[in-house]
Amino acid sequence: MLWLYLHFPHLLLDHLSRSHQSRSALVIVEGAGHKVIQACSTAREQGVQAGMRLKTALSLCPELHIVRSDQQQEARILEDQARWLYRYAAYIVLVPPDGLLAEIGSLQKLYGGLTAVWQTIEQGLNERQLNAWIAIGHTPLAARLIARSGQGECTSDSGHINRTLSQLSLFDAGFEEKACLRLQRLGLNTLGEVFNLPPAELARRLSPEVLARIQKIQGTRPDPLAPWQPPHRFRQQADFVQELEHSRGLLFPLQRMLQELEDDLCWRQQDTDSLLLILQHRQQEPTRLRVRTSGPEHRAEAFLKLAQIRFEQHPLRAPVTAIILAVTRFIDREAPDEQDLLGDCRGLDEAWHTLISRLQARLGSDSLTRLSPQADHRPERAWSASDVSQSGHRTPSGAVARLPRRPLWLLKGPLPLTAAPAIWFSGPERISGGWWDGQRVHRDYYIAQLQTGQLAWVFHDARTGWFVHGWFG
Amino acid sequence: MSNILDTLIQNERVWQGRRHKQSTQPAEPTGYQVLDNQLGGIGWPRGALSECLLDDPGIGELHLLLPLMEKLSSNGKTVFWLNPPHTPYAPALAREGVNLDQVVMVHTDNEGDFLWTLENCLRSPATGLVMAWPGKLRSRDIRRLQLAAEAGSNVCVLFRQRRYAEQNSPAALRLELEPDHHQNLNVKIVKRRGSWPGQYCSLAMAYRADLAFSEAPRVVQGPWPACGR
Repeated sequence: MLWLYLHFPHLLLDHLSRSHQSRSALVIVEGAGHKVIQACSTAREQGVQAGMRLKTALSLCPELHIVRSDQQQEARILEDQARWLYRYAAYIVLVPPDGLLAEIGSLQKLYGGLTAVWQTIEQGLNERQLNAWIAIGHTPLAARLIARSGQGECTSDSGHINRTLSQLSLFDAGFEEKACLRLQRLGLNTLGEVFNLPPAELARRLSPEVLARIQKIQGTRPDPLAPWQPPHRFRQQADFVQELEHSRGLLFPLQRMLQELEDDLCWRQQDTDSLLLILQHRQQEPTRLRVRTSGPEHRAEAFLKLAQIRFEQHPLRAPVTAIILAVTRFIDREAPDEQDLLGDCRGLDEAWHTLISRLQARLGSDSLTRLSPQADHRPERAWSASDVSQSGHRTPSGAVARLPRRPLWLLKGPLPLTAAPAIWFSGPERISGGWWDGQRVHRDYYIAQLQTGQLAWVFHDARTGWFVHGWFG
Repeated sequence: MSNILDTLIQNERVWQGRRHKQSTQPAEPTGYQVLDNQLGGIGWPRGALSECLLDDPGIGELHLLLPLMEKLSSNGKTVFWLNPPHTPYAPALAREGVNLDQVVMVHTDNEGDFLWTLENCLRSPATGLVMAWPGKLRSRDIRRLQLAAEAGSNVCVLFRQRRYAEQNSPAALRLELEPDHHQNLNVKIVKRRGSWPGQYCSLAMAYRADLAFSEAPRVVQGPWPACGR
């Protein structure tokens, strides 16, 4: 088996600078906030180095942006990278806090050689603006050690890999400090020298753990690793160094996230119809915005337009420190309809969905309705409004022809009739019902022309009097 | 320069008294032969605004558009009703043969949303017909809508109060609707692009309430005289 290890020397920094638009200096400090652990190139130019005290760094560069490292956040970012790497390799192991391991021995045939695998991954890293040190080894631990020392090369030659390994210093090989010291006292400085010792002596003089580690590097002892499985959801987060006060500034990182969603959906061959955007604020509860499309969609451009409308409708309540894009609902893509050769019909369908989604995003989904007749004698109950996205229930055509003559306009509530109509035409038609649900109706309907020339549907209720209930529009 | 003049003449924006020719602008027949004849044999213009000016609903104004609604909805085009003043009665529409799956009601709260929605509907190729009941419209809003209408090729009918007939408007077609006492709908053409206004016709609309006997209406001696006094 051949293993590829990706070591991300400053993952959090890369992640932040992707959504950090201005090129000002940025450093990551450790949890306690005293020591700089990662510094961006602008900061390094001004003399700030990793390992420096924060006070020193601040005196070198007063306009420094400081971000505190957060284990949870780092774990999440690493998982994002694993999700991306999963497109290229099936067997992936997370090595927190900053490494990914992939089995590539089985991929060589697929990609056409080891070099092709290496280049594909390097290109992907470039596209994602990530810095990583890559190395190949015959055991997971060997690959990891070489990657962390930054001497990885694209070769599967075991002689070459062993030479690189044996030149590593004991400290780079990741032994405990105590074991390192003892080995150094024995006059051993590189890993190669330790490899040459007889194993039984090593275990007796040092500790079984050191032997186990050496054997794992060499591959004589099994090193089982559980493969990582991608979760069945999509979640991306962009963290901002400076708080964003205008929603326009959100669109830039959002566009990148939506592009990743599009790639992800294309890769899964799935669509989605609902996105959840969570805007995190420093003090307040996060704002949750749901962006819905009226039909399955995967294009970043379409989502971005809808999000833009939502942002216009909902001005930011407070400055935003992070934006999260989450998708949990996936819909399998339907095979294209073979009957429609030129695709005209699909174009129209797509245009319809785009239009309805846009309208719903701005007006709210309650503002768009579709009407359908209902089986009830009472005019108020003989129709219903339903959501546009649901496909309507088709009334059988036979039933439609049997419907009685009714006006096209129904008033929202009956209006009292103020003057006697000019001409009476037909009636009475008695509608009586509703005793079963308490909404009792007992009316005599007439068709009459009012003095204004309007043709009205009027009714007489024995208890309350005369009302207009509809217009023959 | 002559290019612009040619365009103006071809699009019938400049009326030429002597060289009157058959209009070439795209249109949908109204379904009423009498009215089509008055409208140069073409009907409702597509890709342009039309206005119906009337005082009160219930004079047959929806029946004027029913043939078009029926045709477009069965062709899979969507019919939008934007801020209708009353509820369109679904059983009656279904009875007239309108495919209700293609009918979408839109309700907007303010004027900005109204114009935005109307513009978006007009620009979409999925739309067949937009019927809108605007409140007050400024002249520049109508111009904006007219431009949006030109971007698409849909029929758009604005229902407005009759008092706006005096106000000028960039709409391509303006009809003044009036009822008479025989349940007919009198249509007066206030403006038509590329022709004289002032034509007049009367459409029989009595059938909309099954009043086949409209010649001698049957007066129901109902309980009316006794009641209410």
